[in-house]
Amino acid sequence: MRLTFQDTEIFISTGGRDFSGASDVLLFIHGSGQSHLTFLQQGRFFANRGWQVLNPDMPAHGHSQGQPLASIEEMADWYAGLLDALNVSSASLIGHSQGCLVGLEMAKKYPQKVDKVALIAGAMAIPVNDALLDMAANKPDAAYQAMVNWAHANDSHLYHHSWPGQTHIEFGNQVMSANHQAALLADLSACNHYEGGPEAASAVSCPALAILASHDKMTPVKAGRKMADMIPSCEAHIIADAGHFLPSERPYDVNKLLRSFLA
Amino acid sequence: MSGNYKFDTLTLHAGQVPDKATGARATPIYQTTSYVFQDSEHAASLFNMEVGGHIYSRLTNPTIATLEQRVAALEGGVACVAVSSGMAALFLTILSLASQGDHIVASSQMYGASINLFEHTLPRYGITTSFVPPHDLEAIEAAIQPNTKMVFGEVIGNPGLDVMDVPSVAAITAKAGVPLVIDATFNTPYLFRPIEHGANIVIQSLTKWMGGHGVAMGGAIIDGGNFDWGKDGKFPTLTEPHYAFQGVNLWEEFGPAAFTARVRSEGMYNVGPSLSPTNAFHLLQGLETLNLRMDRHIANTAKLLAFLSEHEQIAWVKHPTLADHRDHELAMRLMPKGVCSIIACGIKGGRDAGRAFIENVQLASHLANVGDAKTLVIHPGSTTHSHLTPEAMANAGLTDDMLRISVGLENSDDIIVDFKNALRIAKKVTEKA
Repeated sequence: MRLTFQDTEIFISTGGRDFSGASDVLLFIHGSGQSHLTFLQQGRFFANRGWQVLNPDMPAHGHSQGQPLASIEEMADWYAGLLDALNVSSASLIGHSQGCLVGLEMAKKYPQKVDKVALIAGAMAIPVNDALLDMAANKPDAAYQAMVNWAHANDSHLYHHSWPGQTHIEFGNQVMSANHQAALLADLSACNHYEGGPEAASAVSCPALAILASHDKMTPVKAGRKMADMIPSCEAHIIADAGHFLPSERPYDVNKLLRSFLA
Repeated sequence: MSGNYKFDTLTLHAGQVPDKATGARATPIYQTTSYVFQDSEHAASLFNMEVGGHIYSRLTNPTIATLEQRVAALEGGVACVAVSSGMAALFLTILSLASQGDHIVASSQMYGASINLFEHTLPRYGITTSFVPPHDLEAIEAAIQPNTKMVFGEVIGNPGLDVMDVPSVAAITAKAGVPLVIDATFNTPYLFRPIEHGANIVIQSLTKWMGGHGVAMGGAIIDGGNFDWGKDGKFPTLTEPHYAFQGVNLWEEFGPAAFTARVRSEGMYNVGPSLSPTNAFHLLQGLETLNLRMDRHIANTAKLLAFLSEHEQIAWVKHPTLADHRDHELAMRLMPKGVCSIIACGIKGGRDAGRAFIENVQLASHLANVGDAKTLVIHPGSTTHSHLTPEAMANAGLTDDMLRISVGLENSDDIIVDFKNALRIAKKVTEKA
């Protein structure tokens, strides 16, 4: 679905089903330099099982136009505003990586809008080193490659994929390359500057789920556990032999955990 | 290569991790037509293209998937679909992009069956083709029309060995908003990876050097994932609701892999030129040594070129590594590790001498294939390209005296001795006539 929101044409994947917005809404929140395609194997899965799926591309990402948002707080406001624009009173949030920071901030700032929050490969803080920020500013293609490489476990580097004929590495590079060139630097800077994670996590009042990856180099398990421990009501699961890109690396495991949590 | 592993490692490992249930190190041959669903919901999720998995071996198969992922890795594509032959790969590519009333721009100098497909088969279904010389960049640009759905050529033309300037053609097609589809069979990804140079889709006949053993047919379509299918609404097969799969919009739902999703969901589903799992296994065994074999092919080719160039019975020799080849500089720039192991040459005495040579080689084999581990020879004018009109023959750079040699992996001294003997007999035939 394409619509104009805040004077910008944006794209929202609805998982191949019409969005009615009545109830059982899932709001997917993608990570730094990504798009709705992070949840390629979740969107259609849940849309076909009775959920109303909203899987948007943030401005300057994927098929959405406009300029990238500058901070995690702005992103949380943007998603909350999008729910209002679509007359959705509340939704369950599913965030990945940076999307977890946005989900935590939304759950703190707009608790009435958040039914449940699922945090995949998340942490309360995602500091970004200067070298990556510099690459994102000056050599974005190199930054995409570096992030895609770090984000995947060894099986993905050996081109093992549960979707026959598909690859993780080249697909990931192309997804990131398709965004506006300024998107990644804005996202990474937003992550780097966000310090509200612990406060937001401790303020989460809805049920929460953390799905962590044993071989996550970007938001390591240790950081994910700290986040889960800080959230008052959070169940945590660690998926073995997986990397940061859990939604595509381990879709069956992720979907099973999400479904059980959202039921 | 953009991931953690290098080309030589990926030829051995890409697409496979040891089987978790059995520990099998080699890729098992899953000789099965179908797969038991965990439950009805699992079945529905596969049929709805929600998650990956196997339904029916016409569509996907675990052994074939390993091959597909290995080929995608080696070519640098986002995805790959393996099919029963290189021609099936070309046809499914066209089927996925073009419809009645559409147009294609194709090289005039390429494999005879490909020319036939474009010139005779596709027009019956309302798809027309403009043939242009692969060297003529202006002609390629001028031939692109508003309804052009792809530009197609071979990196190294078969059998004329013309080299396409892929980066320059890619710049033209990118500007025009048309995908560049490249047959990269003769060079293999070891020598040249078209996607890295701007091509959008790569076609491989796996039967040739990729398998390398001459025991299994196969083809592959590799999706570069680097084309904006959504621009201008020019590719409705990818951007309009699919007639099946709940009307899925492939471009929106699958992004860089939208083209592959169309090939799989229509080409394999409705047409079904499936590769057999056993052939996929054989092709995987061949791929494991691709880099080693290609180095030997290239080394043997250089030695045979030196021999043929000096031989009194040989009228001319054509190979892109020779300084007098029209594409020499381009070939050396694009393929510094080597160009290909096909040699075209003309034998003095014309057709009779050619026949005598082919009938008197004892080590080399006279057959209609290339890229085998064994040295192969053929006379294209009377075999692979015999169905072409004289005009098409001339356009393809074919002459009556032309021999096509696919240089194998034997000891190069033995190949040279074999050729020397056959050329001596051919000379006698010519002298008697």
